[in-house]
Order: sequence, then C-alpha cells, then structure tokens
Amino acid sequence: MTQVRRARLDLKEIVLLVGLGVAFGFLYWALVQAWNGLAVLMGPAGDLAQHVLLGGWLIVAPVAVAIVRRPGVGVVAEVIASVVEVVFLGSPVGPLLLVAALIQGVGSELPFALGRYRRFGWARYAASGALGAGLVFVWSAFRFGWFGQDVLALRFGLQVASGVLLGGLLARVLVDALRRTGVLDGFAIVTDERVATPVVRRAG
Amino acid sequence: MTALAERNPTVKAGLLLAVSLATVVLLDPVTLAALYLAGVAVARFGAGVRGRALLLAQVPFWSFALGVLAVNALSRPGTVLLDSPVRVTQEGLVVGLGLALRGLVIGALTVAFLASTPPRALMVSLTQHARLSPRYAYALLAGHRMLAGLPRHWADVRAAQAVRAPLRRDGTPRTGVAALGRAAFALLVHQVRASERVALALESRGLSDRPRTLWRPVPLDRRDALLAVGVVVAVAAVVVAGVLVAPLLPPWLRV
Repeated sequence: MTQVRRARLDLKEIVLLVGLGVAFGFLYWALVQAWNGLAVLMGPAGDLAQHVLLGGWLIVAPVAVAIVRRPGVGVVAEVIASVVEVVFLGSPVGPLLLVAALIQGVGSELPFALGRYRRFGWARYAASGALGAGLVFVWSAFRFGWFGQDVLALRFGLQVASGVLLGGLLARVLVDALRRTGVLDGFAIVTDERVATPVVRRAG
Repeated sequence: MTALAERNPTVKAGLLLAVSLATVVLLDPVTLAALYLAGVAVARFGAGVRGRALLLAQVPFWSFALGVLAVNALSRPGTVLLDSPVRVTQEGLVVGLGLALRGLVIGALTVAFLASTPPRALMVSLTQHARLSPRYAYALLAGHRMLAGLPRHWADVRAAQAVRAPLRRDGTPRTGVAALGRAAFALLVHQVRASERVALALESRGLSDRPRTLWRPVPLDRRDALLAVGVVVAVAAVVVAGVLVAPLLPPWLRV
C-alpha cells in the first residue's frame, strides 16, 4: 500500500511540536538557571564550558522529525521552541535565537531528509546532531567574533561533539523510550510502520 | 497603557529583529554604547519598565556580556596590556567590549518588547498582519497556557518520586542527577499526552482549518508606520554619528 503524504500538518501534529517546544523550553530554562551559577563560578572558562551543553538545544528537531516524519518538521519544531524561549520565557539571547534556531533546524533535519524520512538509524541521528551544531557554529562564530580567537578549533570541537551526543544520540534514546511508553501510538512513528507491515489474513 | 504597549505587536517584533540583526555588523563600542542607552530609555519611558524591575530584567544580559568580555580579553591575540597572572590584549578588550554591548543592546530592546506585548496580542496580530496560519497561532497560545502549568506539574512528579526515593540518614529523600533525568522524562511524556488532548479540544471548538473571524482584532494604523520610520531613522543617525566621531577617538578605543 502506498501512502498518501499530506502536504500540511494536522493540528494534532502542530500542537505536539508546540508541546515539545514548551517542554524542552522549560527544561532548558531550568538548566540555564542551574548553569548560570556554575558559569559565574568558572569565570571566563564558563563561556567555553557552555559549549558542552550546546547539543541540548538541538535535540527537539530530531525528536520531532522522528515522531512526525514529515518534511520541514525539524525546522518548524526548532523555531517554535525558540519562540517559546524568547517570547514566553524571555531568553537572554533575544530575537537572534530565532535565526540560530532556523539554521540549527535545517542542519538537524538534512540527514533525515536525505533518508526520505524513512531511515532512523544511530548514524543518522549522530549526523543530524553534528550537522546542526556545525552549521550554527558558523553563525555563532560570526556573531560573537570567534574567528581570530585562539580557541576557535577547541570551540568547534566541543560544539560538534556535544551536538553528536546531546543533539543526536540522546534524541534516539529519548524517542525509543517515548515510543515504549505508548504515548506516540497516534503519530506517524507508530502508524507508518503499522501500514508498512499489513496484517496477514487467512485466505477463504 | 504605555506608549509602546499601544503599538502593533507585529511592527514591534519586526523592528526588534531588524535592530538586532543590524547590531551584528557593528563592533564599535561607542556606537553600541549609545544604542544601549537609547534601548534602556525605550524600556524605561516607552514600555514603562522602571527602577528595580528594569535592573533585574537586565541581570541575565549583563552576566552574559561579562562572560563574552572576559573570554575575548583573554583569548584574542594582539598588543599585550598585561602578561601575568593572565595575558590580556588591547584588541581583545575592545572587541570584547563591542560584542558585550551588542548583547546588551538586544537585551534592553527585548525587555522593552516583552514588557509592552502580551503574548495573545502578538499571536493575533501575527495572524492578522503577518499571515501566520491561525492553526499555529492558537497552538502557540495553548502552549503558553501549558507552560504556565509546567512548574506545578514538575513539582507533582518530584513529589511522587520522592515517595519511593532512597532516604538519607536524616530521613530526607536523596536526589541525584538520575532522578532529575527521570522527572524530566516524565514531564516530557505528560507533555505529549497533554498536547494530544489540547489538539482535540481545539479541533472540537472549530479551530482547525476554515477561514476565521477574529475576536478583538489588534489595530494597525499610521502611528505604527511612524514608529517604524522613527526607529530606523534613529538607529541610522546613531550609526552615522558613530562613523563621524570615530577619528576623534583615542587610539586605545579603536579596533
């Protein structure tokens, strides 16, 4: 049976993306509260140490793509999460977070798009995290004037490593765990596979 | 109502984004400092954020700026000002100052924007004036409500987990990183369930697909155009003045 892919997202899927954005926005916010104290204690090294957590900001895109399996979902989810952070939670990065989110979303979604939203192996998640972190690094480096600093390569390495671990592999762990709870039964991640493996009927 | 609260949210959001993007190409500390002062004035007199609230709202931006300044002063090659105990360069200090001020300009304007714009007005205005699909607007508004309930739900999850948590010697529950992770996962599961219910509720109220009428539309008039032109002219004037003043600056302030 061939599937008909709808062009637009269902309201259910849109609200799910918002719900994920809200949940991750809230968790980031809690994390940032805890983190700020540590960053102040670490002084100038705090700026570097924050790169370790960068991947956490990417995770919503692969999770959303894996659940909804529709083009553009990663970008939309990432932008919605940034809107939640800026407008509802008052993130100190301000509106430029929207630009960063757009770039991250494109990077994170690309590996899944290349697999036509049908392949979700470990390597693809890792590539998603690496690409999301790598693309946004160019923008951050431009914005914060990292080019010409002594620590440019170190920054890049930390961010991509964090992207692979927190923004890629952790997403797969999370998606698998969410799936086991049964809350995703109404979404494409479960229903698509049900369609792909038809029930065998007895003849006659 | 303050002067800024009466203006159209879409126009304000657009201006905020435009000015934020403009600061990305500026690095001169004097120009950026002037823009920062203007931004604080907008927050104070335009959006009515006063005294203590104005200071507190900026604390996260200041701590962020301080980190940027410190790391640039220490990690950028150039004329060495101080060699021990750490190496500080003049270029690093000036560039760091510029980058830190960028963040502060955006911060002051964001404070002004958020203080003068209720989320509901922003979403309604975006559907009216920026062609945002109402399905996304209502989903985001529902998300705003869900967010308000999350801290309480987090407390519920933590309380439920504390019932079975291992105890310390004094009888209080022991909490670790793993427990926080489990609570975060429970919160996520709750959120997926909640969003499915919310979507059903929205659909049953007809908030899905058809063309819609709006309750209490947000006005957009000539004064909003005036605000847009005024902000663009003011920022341009500050930037031009900054370029004109640049040759008069002492050499240690130049990049």
